[in-house]
Amino acid sequence: MKNRLRRVGLLSALALVAAAPATVPAVAVAKPTITMSGSTTVAPLAALLARKYLKVCDHCVNFKLLQGGSDIGVADVAAGRVTIGNSSRDPKPSDPGGLVFNKIAHDALCLVSNKANPIAGLDQAGVQAIFGGSVRSWSGVPGAAQTGTIDVFSRTPASGTQDAFQKIFMGSSKMFSGASQKGSNGLVEQSVASDPGGIGYVSLAFTKNVHTIPYKGVDCTLRNAKSGQYGGVRNLYMVTRGAPTGATAKWINWITHSKAASKVIATQWVPLN
Amino acid sequence: MSTSGSPSAAQPRNRTDQRAEVLLGALACAVLVLIAFMIVFVFVKAWPSFADNGLAWFGAGGNVDEQMQNIFNSPADPSDYVYTMHAWPLLYATALITGISVLLATAISLLSAIFIVEFAPVFMQRLLRPVIRLLAAVPSVVYGLIGILVLVPFFGNHVISDGEKESVRYVIQLDGTSVLVGVLVLTVMITPIMVAITTDALRSVPRTWTEGAAALGVNRFRALRTVGIRAARPAIVAAGVLATARALGEAIMLSMVSGSVGFAPNPLDGVTFLFEPARTLAATVVDNSEGLSVKPFGQTIYAFAAILLISSAFLSFAGWVARSSMRKYTLQAR
Amino acid sequence: MSTHVQVPPPPPAQPLGIPGSESSWSRGDRLGVAAAWGAGILLCLVAAAIVLYMLSRGLQYLSLEMLVSHPLPSLDQSQSGGFFDPIEGTLILTVLGTAIAVPLGVGIAVWLSEYARPAWLARAVESGVEIVAGTPSIVLAIFGLLVFQQSVFGFLSFTADGNAVFGRSFFTAGAMMSLIALPLIVGSTREALQAIPAHVREASYALGKDRISTIRRVLLPASRRGIGTGITLGMGRIVGDTAIVVVLLGASLQIEPENGTPIWGLLKGTGSTLTTYVYNNSPAGEGGAPQKAYAAAFVLLLIVIALNFAVDLIARGKEPQWTR
Repeated sequence: MKNRLRRVGLLSALALVAAAPATVPAVAVAKPTITMSGSTTVAPLAALLARKYLKVCDHCVNFKLLQGGSDIGVADVAAGRVTIGNSSRDPKPSDPGGLVFNKIAHDALCLVSNKANPIAGLDQAGVQAIFGGSVRSWSGVPGAAQTGTIDVFSRTPASGTQDAFQKIFMGSSKMFSGASQKGSNGLVEQSVASDPGGIGYVSLAFTKNVHTIPYKGVDCTLRNAKSGQYGGVRNLYMVTRGAPTGATAKWINWITHSKAASKVIATQWVPLN
Repeated sequence: MSTSGSPSAAQPRNRTDQRAEVLLGALACAVLVLIAFMIVFVFVKAWPSFADNGLAWFGAGGNVDEQMQNIFNSPADPSDYVYTMHAWPLLYATALITGISVLLATAISLLSAIFIVEFAPVFMQRLLRPVIRLLAAVPSVVYGLIGILVLVPFFGNHVISDGEKESVRYVIQLDGTSVLVGVLVLTVMITPIMVAITTDALRSVPRTWTEGAAALGVNRFRALRTVGIRAARPAIVAAGVLATARALGEAIMLSMVSGSVGFAPNPLDGVTFLFEPARTLAATVVDNSEGLSVKPFGQTIYAFAAILLISSAFLSFAGWVARSSMRKYTLQAR
Repeated sequence: MSTHVQVPPPPPAQPLGIPGSESSWSRGDRLGVAAAWGAGILLCLVAAAIVLYMLSRGLQYLSLEMLVSHPLPSLDQSQSGGFFDPIEGTLILTVLGTAIAVPLGVGIAVWLSEYARPAWLARAVESGVEIVAGTPSIVLAIFGLLVFQQSVFGFLSFTADGNAVFGRSFFTAGAMMSLIALPLIVGSTREALQAIPAHVREASYALGKDRISTIRRVLLPASRRGIGTGITLGMGRIVGDTAIVVVLLGASLQIEPENGTPIWGLLKGTGSTLTTYVYNNSPAGEGGAPQKAYAAAFVLLLIVIALNFAVDLIARGKEPQWTR
């Protein structure tokens, strides 16, 4: 008798637990979820914008933010795994079809070296020589305070920053094969900051602990990027499959059109307008 | 082995018992099914990478990182996927770092075990118990943190001389993340397990055996070295297998300290060889785990995982063979 | 094959050989003894160095505020927020992983120890458990991703607009974590069951109980100590594992529950644990905030040490008396 009661009780508890997920969504209002993955450059910007947006629209959506690199963002959104792919590089011909690259901001790509090695400036030939591996010692670089070997830090294949750097700075020169490939802007900043002989490239937002190297005589600052004087400016995109709809459209619209969003962007990046 | 006692109890007589046996047996088979699934799934995913390259997959040729970049940037059309991969630098790095660490750890653990069993004063024996337990319990990410915040800058800025950096600078850069740091931290990670198992085994050698050796005039150290260690050989092999499995699978700590370049360190470089970065298979999988969804790239990563899977299965098998072949000469290992 | 670290108590102090005769040994043997001493002292020094270093750094950077505030996304991680969510994440994952592993592990151990028919199947299952014990956690992680991204498992995580299953959630991570703890639980439970002498089982059969009742009423309660040891060891391993969390927990900074019921939704969502928090704030990850990494690593170390201490306490508990 006691066994049977226990069994009935157990079964009904199980049934309740199993049925619960089915019943409650009917009661609760389903909040749309926007998943973003991709560029490590866009990630901090997206996180700040998301925080502001949740305040403005009173928590009308859920956000999920992942990283991995621009190429991963593009691949994820093309396969339908995420709603938005963040990209810090321009569309490539090899990208899957049907994608819409929504531009949200501009970003300055800075060359950086260790604070103990404040290089006065580099031109394109210098950049190609150092990052291409033909010059391997700091004694071959005018204005360098270091004398040892140059430790080059670059990005992994999935990085949009890597693509932008290649296009803007390197042109047709190939990257030095012995360069240390890091997975994100933060990692490159970290590595250059802890290695006196280090050199690398990061988005402007990641230059707090390193020395930014003027390119072609122009300092890498927000003002120079805005005015267009700095040569290393690139676009930041939020990629969607087809034109954005519904909550996604509202979110991207808010980013590109609202004043609050522009203010957030203007802290470390260049707003569109 | 079942210790279920009398034969009459060995035959389940009622249906509840039979049902229970079937249920539990099914549960146990679930483990087998899981492993079968794991092997099948991983190999099915990894197959295109192996098929496209054939045996050249294991060979050398070209820069691994460059090849991975090309695979990642394959055109979208499945028939145009690039799979070219010569994974020798990664295989070599895995074997190198694992091998050196296990050798070092075996040496240290044998010596420590002899110390604990015979030479240590009682207070040290009591102290070393929690010490070993502590070292074995520290998570790998904490080891990696200490490695990357303390050891890597130390070696990069103070030990590796400028001359050494210059000697290899056209090939690779030495920034502190290296084979040496990887081996050091990995040895610290796997030694506690080996010490514990070896100490256990040495202690379970019957005292009469070593006393017999001593009675014949052999000194303490030699008695332990010849009689004790020999008797504990299956356990030492078991400990070695366990430690090797742990070392092979260590991904997070090594990805933090041994380097992020798929480079094969060159022994002909002399001492500098130890300072060169390397990246093992497990570390490569962890570093590139975000790219798993991109088709040909993901399949290449699964190919690396497949090699890891084969190695650990092979290790278990080798350990079992070694232990059972030694069983007739020595004590039963646990 | 016992896979946990257990060092038995010191042997009786009867000297082997002639005390004080070391001076007459050969050079090789004396070197050997010196090396043995060196190895022992090295172990102590390394352990002391790790503990003292983590203690000093951890206490330097840990504050009560960090333990209870939520992590915030911001460019300058060293100023923003604490790691309450990762602690919650570690707890949830450990409980989930253990909850799945315990019934599975105890069931397998009981079958291996009490039934084990047919014999070839028992040997296969034994090797199977050993293979799971030897598989690297990164391989388990990507296998988990492979399995749980199939659409049949969509209810365990989040499904994106394009009908692709995300595959990463507490559920999926917990499921793979249980595999990490499984061999330890199986091993400890088997040892405990095999330590029970045969006459106990015979007494139970003599009283007319069938095998399953014997197991449920006599053997399992008697092996509580061993099962407890195994569970705590398993929890220790789950708490310390990083690879599975990095791959299967979606790496989002805050815990973001899915829609639906509170608990079910929480488990379907993603989050982070202390281990990924340390990883992400270290130079290997994004944060670049080594202070927070140290603080979190210190808390992680404390939790792991506490769990190991608990193993000691449980193992030292009252041994069931089988003979009077």
